[in-house]
Amino acid sequence: MPAIFPRWTNKIPLAIGVLAPLALAGAVGGIWYYFSPKFTDAGYRPRQPVPFSHKLHAGDMGMDCRYCHNTVERAAHAAIPPAQTCMNCHSLVKTESPKLKLVRDSYTTDEPIPWVRVHQLPDYAFFDHRPHLAAGVGCSSCHGRIDQMTIVEMDQPLSMGWCLDCHRDPEPSLRPRDQITNMLWDPAVDGKNYDAAKDPSRTRQVNPPEHCSGCHR
Amino acid sequence: MSRSTATTFLVLSLAGCVAGVAGCQGNRSEEPPVHLIQNMDFQSRYDAQEENPFFQPVDCANALNHDCKGRAARAPVPGTVAVGFLKDDDELHRGRGADGRLFDRLPSSIPLTPALLDRGQQRYNIYCQPCHDESGGGKGIATLRGGGFKVQPANLQDPRLRAMPLAYFYDVIVNGKGTMLSYAAQIPVKDRWAIAAWVRTLQAARTPSEGK
Ligand code: HEC
Ligand code: HEC
Ligand code: HEC
Ligand code: HEC
Ligand code: HEC
Ligand code: HEC
Repeated sequence: MPAIFPRWTNKIPLAIGVLAPLALAGAVGGIWYYFSPKFTDAGYRPRQPVPFSHKLHAGDMGMDCRYCHNTVERAAHAAIPPAQTCMNCHSLVKTESPKLKLVRDSYTTDEPIPWVRVHQLPDYAFFDHRPHLAAGVGCSSCHGRIDQMTIVEMDQPLSMGWCLDCHRDPEPSLRPRDQITNMLWDPAVDGKNYDAAKDPSRTRQVNPPEHCSGCHR
Repeated sequence: MSRSTATTFLVLSLAGCVAGVAGCQGNRSEEPPVHLIQNMDFQSRYDAQEENPFFQPVDCANALNHDCKGRAARAPVPGTVAVGFLKDDDELHRGRGADGRLFDRLPSSIPLTPALLDRGQQRYNIYCQPCHDESGGGKGIATLRGGGFKVQPANLQDPRLRAMPLAYFYDVIVNGKGTMLSYAAQIPVKDRWAIAAWVRTLQAARTPSEGK
């Protein structure tokens, strides 16, 4: 009587034994790597309606972030500047530039410029710029080297794990409070000579929340 | 090549292809982040500066005198002032004394302290330095690029401006002057006085004889 199953089927259990763990590891690895906000969120770089360059304004011309994002120290939200802020200069320089047409129109008609939002936390997470800047966390710790970006991109994943990584050990990210907008201040280099606990201008230890209601309120 | 090595090879190269197409962490992309499970990411409330389609231009004809540009934040009805926002202190908010003229001192509610001057210096370097440069000479970096400014910023060391009362600088910040637009929206009241005090300090620093 001929065999019902051909000879090679004997290898199936072995193949499954070898391939299944491989496939499982691949799936776990893939999910770990590709489902992480480090993959899905970081690097998001939408095209903006006006080709505004931080590299030119904040980098080459050295403008302070707060010239434009002037509410950042006073409010939770770091406002995107209104057209008037641009017109402070652009009513005097590059007045005919076609790239700035939308800004000029917005200034005269009060029609908002449809900037595309880059950083956005889910609505159930609470974030406030004020305590972070008052504690001396620099813009570049969370937004990267904005002064080198022609188009703003998300530098960090803004995931809950990322927030907590810093909240559990904030000291290495702290800097003197007058350096928060200084993009050249590098925590890895300049931070070595700075000890937040010995800074006389600080009156209290920073105490970032790790309990759920700190950020989900 | 046995069959199982062939399959392993196939699986691996397939994974390689997926990785190649999907790219690495931190890859740049113009596509918005994909979130499969959106739970309560977008709740029925509005963040600051968000768009609200309810107030789209369609409604403009019936908008009476309300803002109809699709902003979620509503502008106050013209002619009204929110509680606590009435700027009724002529001294603090306009720099004018009882005689209605700009005075040459700080308002009495703001004492002159080293902290105020530090603050003034910092704020001056944020808001004025791009055009007026660090010492007030009027050759800020923004005026040197892109073909130059149509009108040069004023030299704050100019004798005419040295003779001006302190509150004049406050007034320029609030109302602008000539081609310089108002900075009232960008700078809160106390910081404006701090900047005015710092401008005076810069002028005094360049005066050989009298100090202030
Ligand atoms: C000349 C004005 C100006 C200056 C100076 C400036 N910005 Fe901006 N910034 C803008 C405008 C306009 C946008 C919105 C358009 C865009 O995203 O490119 C923006 C967007 C951003 C965003 C993204 C906002 C979002 O949608 O999530 C970040 C983050 C940011 N700026 C950080 C900074 C930092 C940090 C500095 C200082 C190094 C700085 N900016 C200096 C005008 C400015
Ligand atoms: C402090 C003054 C200043 C402010 C404020 C400012 N800019 Fe500029 N901007 C300049 C100067 C100067 C140039 C020209 C630089 C060059 O060409 O070297 C420029 C160039 C540009 C250009 C390129 C124009 C072209 O034709 O090449 C764009 C776009 C632009 N700015 C957008 C903006 C927007 C949007 C804002 C408001 C958020 C803004 N700028 C605020 C000074 C300013
Ligand atoms: C502790 C991290 C952190 C620091 C420090 C920080 N930011 Fe942000 N920033 C964020 C997060 C998170 C968001 C997204 C907020 C949201 O979606 O509600 C954001 C959003 C923004 C936006 C978009 C508007 C908004 O508020 O949603 C701008 C502009 C911005 N930041 C500018 C700045 C500037 C300028 C500085 C430095 C003075 C700064 N940020 C410092 C984390 C930070
Ligand atoms: C680089 C470090 C760093 C990162 C990243 C960071 N934080 Fe913080 N955060 C701090 C520090 C430091 C404080 C403490 C301030 C204090 O105690 O004065 C703080 C305080 C807070 C507070 C308390 C504010 C209050 O009113 O008391 C909240 C809420 C908060 N962070 C939310 C977030 C969220 C949400 C994220 C992620 C999107 C985040 N933080 C990312 C450093 C960080
Ligand atoms: C430092 C601030 C912070 C603290 C503390 C915190 N969270 Fe979060 N949480 C966040 C942020 C930010 C997000 C949004 C992350 C994202 O966009 O992927 C989040 C998201 C979540 C989500 C939704 C995850 C998803 O992808 O749907 C859950 C559930 C959650 N947090 C539970 C908790 C619990 C439980 C605690 C207390 C043990 C806690 N969080 C403490 C900041 C915080
Ligand atoms: C965008 C560039 C720019 C910035 C930023 C700027 N100014 Fe000016 N400023 C000018 C220009 C241009 C003039 C000349 C106006 C004219 O004569 O039409 C001027 C003129 C002046 C004058 C002289 C007014 C007169 O009587 O002639 C004073 C005082 C002054 N600025 C103060 C300030 C202060 C204080 C700040 C910071 C809050 C500031 N400026 C920021 C461009 C600027």
